[in-house]
Amino acid sequence: MKLVVAVIKPFKLDDVKTALEEFGIHGITITEVQGFGRQRGHTEVYRGAEYTIDFVPKVKLEILVEDAQATDVVERILESARTGKIGDGKVWIESVENVFRIRTGEAGSDAL
Amino acid sequence: MISGRLRVARAALVGDTALRGSSFGHALADAVDGALKEAFGTLEQHDSVALVALGSYGRRELCPGSDIDVLLLHGLRGRRAAGTVREMTEQLWYPLWDAGFVTGHGARTVKDSVALADDDLDALTALLEVRHIAGDDSLTADLVQKVRDLADRRHERLLRALADAAEVRRLRPGPVAEMLEPDLKDGAGGLRDVQSLGWAGWAFGRPGGTDALIARGYLAAADLERVEAGRSMLLDLRVALQRVTTSRSDRLALQEQDAVATALGYADADGLVRELSSAARDIAWTTGDVWSRVRDGLRGPSGRGARGDRPLAEQVTLREGRVHVDADPDGSVPALRTLEAAAAAAEHDAPFERASLTRLRATADPTWDVWERAAFLRLLRAGANAVPVFEALDHEAVLVRVLPEWEHVRSLPQRNAYHRFTVDRHLLEAVAECAVLLDAGDRRDQAPGDIDGVVARACRRPEILLLGALLHDIAKGRPGDHSELGAETAERFARRIALDSEGREILVWLVRNHLMMAEIATRRDLSDAAVADNVAAACASDPERLRLLYLLTIGDSRATGPAAWSPAKASLVRDLFVKAAAAIERASVRALAADRRQALAERLGEARAHALLARFPETYVLAFDPDQMRVHEELLEHAPTVRCVREDGHVTVTVVARDRPGLLATLAGALTVCGLDVLDANLLGTTDGIALDVFRAADPFGRVEDDGARVADLIGSALAGDLDLGSRVNERRQAYALAGTEPGPVDVVVDNDVSDTDTVVEVHAHDDVGLLYRLASALSDLTIDVRVAKVATLGKRVVDVFYVRGADGRKLQDDMTEPVRAALESWISG
Repeated sequence: MKLVVAVIKPFKLDDVKTALEEFGIHGITITEVQGFGRQRGHTEVYRGAEYTIDFVPKVKLEILVEDAQATDVVERILESARTGKIGDGKVWIESVENVFRIRTGEAGSDAL
Repeated sequence: MISGRLRVARAALVGDTALRGSSFGHALADAVDGALKEAFGTLEQHDSVALVALGSYGRRELCPGSDIDVLLLHGLRGRRAAGTVREMTEQLWYPLWDAGFVTGHGARTVKDSVALADDDLDALTALLEVRHIAGDDSLTADLVQKVRDLADRRHERLLRALADAAEVRRLRPGPVAEMLEPDLKDGAGGLRDVQSLGWAGWAFGRPGGTDALIARGYLAAADLERVEAGRSMLLDLRVALQRVTTSRSDRLALQEQDAVATALGYADADGLVRELSSAARDIAWTTGDVWSRVRDGLRGPSGRGARGDRPLAEQVTLREGRVHVDADPDGSVPALRTLEAAAAAAEHDAPFERASLTRLRATADPTWDVWERAAFLRLLRAGANAVPVFEALDHEAVLVRVLPEWEHVRSLPQRNAYHRFTVDRHLLEAVAECAVLLDAGDRRDQAPGDIDGVVARACRRPEILLLGALLHDIAKGRPGDHSELGAETAERFARRIALDSEGREILVWLVRNHLMMAEIATRRDLSDAAVADNVAAACASDPERLRLLYLLTIGDSRATGPAAWSPAKASLVRDLFVKAAAAIERASVRALAADRRQALAERLGEARAHALLARFPETYVLAFDPDQMRVHEELLEHAPTVRCVREDGHVTVTVVARDRPGLLATLAGALTVCGLDVLDANLLGTTDGIALDVFRAADPFGRVEDDGARVADLIGSALAGDLDLGSRVNERRQAYALAGTEPGPVDVVVDNDVSDTDTVVEVHAHDDVGLLYRLASALSDLTIDVRVAKVATLGKRVVDVFYVRGADGRKLQDDMTEPVRAALESWISG
């Protein structure tokens, strides 16, 4: 089993969720995170008051999948989250030792 | 078997769903009483022992999962006493245990019981509700007497402990009306709060209970009725809940709410939760009121800050920390008085005196003249302290006189983890949050990067923000789009309170669009310029609407719940605001340009206007007004020419001449030699190579005569090359430079990214004789051609911006920017 993790632009969340639902994925964990990458913070000025955007808000998704699904899921996320502009984010795959469903105690693939 | 019969009886009662709330409690208590009496009857020894009920069993308020709290009172002593007592209790408790009850049991002498109560608040309150079941009733009476005396003796400690406990319940687990899964017993506004009132009454001696509170004026009889109704509802709920879950939990979990609602005959869980919220808020408000009075009473006259009466408004007084309001002889209260009293109560953070609050029920209908409006807005502006005032007014049905639509949203729950408050409370909290944002604008010390304060300070109609916050969700709970319906309500409300038409329009717009910024900021790509343009257009390019919407978005989100606002969301919304503000600015610049073009066309006719504007770059129409442009048209026909006039205390020198390298330096030098101090300059060039250079200068030595002929002559000579400008400027510089003054900091920026066609050179320096001449000469020496220039003086500082190109007519090379920058800096400093 794998954990697919993606950090994307916040406004892309709906598109990614739809793409994953169409693929049959219904369980996603979502967190608000902040990003410091090449996009960097930047400074804006309003009425002479300068303010710096220290961090860039992003959204992190974590999805548990079967080994065989991982590549497809990554593909879907890449397509739906991409805008082509800097700051689109990253997707990666982590290995998972085991998964359990709390309500029933099922383990492994049954718990996905 | 006693236990067998009791078990059967219990099951029957639990299964009889028609038996609700307090009826169930009574019936179950009777059954347990019966079993215990029977068990007691089987004891060998009967004298000097008494069996008593405590806690909820004592109150006969049992629920299916309740513990049975019992106490065996005895007067036995000695070594053998312990053994005897143990045997007795086993005979009494086992039937209960066997029947499946959980007990809180004990066996003590009266003396030991009283000692325990002295030590432990829970023990004391449990013993205040002792009920005799069987045995020696004189023993019970003795205990009752001693415990009540104890409560009386320790009344201060008891009252403080109860008040503190109520305070803690507000924080943990929190108010019943605000929790998604409320704790019916321990939540604020729950059963514990009700019970506490009764216990507090015993601190005042007989008759004890809530009667004592009423007798002493801490509690109004009408309020007690509402509390009792609330308690009845809570008991019904608690019994139904424990039936449904077959557990001892008091927490109305989300997943149980539908079943409980059905069991109690509600159409759905929404109806149930709404009534529960309403009941809990009545209880919470009343108990809060009682404890506040109790604390006042404990502090005593000096503690209440008795500095005498303080008038707050006509017939409104602050006395001993409470707001007193007088009624008119006929018993009514003019609306203005009520509104001013409310505003003052919020501003002084003082609760209403109880009788005064009741008097407010007779508030007359508002006429909404300017005074009443002002008082109402003062109340809204008061911030967090206005919330309890609103709740007090709503408790006495006064708020609906001002805002009839409030009825729909009172105690309307939102039933999801995102929204913490009921709708009405959320609106009040939103107003409070917006008031805090306006406070930030009033403060002078702003944190760097805090644009919220800047925005707040810039608002022209801050009162519309507060009204918008009060009304934005007023249409929730009705079928349809609550933003659209809310806008209609806002329109009616604005007309009713006779708000001016601009205010009304902005208010209606604000309510209709209150969700826009939050939605767009989190759902759209802010790096796409069209997004900001759309928001600007939605604001009708009105910076005030944008500002108010921005602040309302923040206030609304903060007042919603912990998940609704975060630094991430704040940063997205702020980003959208700044971008939209810039888009509005751009739109207004475009509008200004269009207006000027129009005005010029009206003066010169379309053809001539078009011909003139076509010769200049886009920025021409922004730099000059139509009157000036007309003058330029004339001058251009007589080029080369110099016009020098006095205007508004300054001298304006307009030079129209064939453009050529070094022209700026020549003109700047000539003006310096004339004794003029250049303040601003606009230098533009036509498409056909004519330079239009307009200088605004100060004339400190009064050199310029009315016709400016001398200046024109000098400039003519300079242009012809007949003057040694370099040395003459230097002479003046040395003559007028003040001895000992340090040249100020010099900052030169050469930016190749700002414009596609030109390099921008920006110079910040201290004003000095001949500075512009030296700068222009330096640029000329570097064979840099000045295409457009803007010179401005602010106090002692000068900011010169030049759009330049190299000798080849193109932007400077990127690797040239630093050498040019360094050269200029040393020229000026040197």
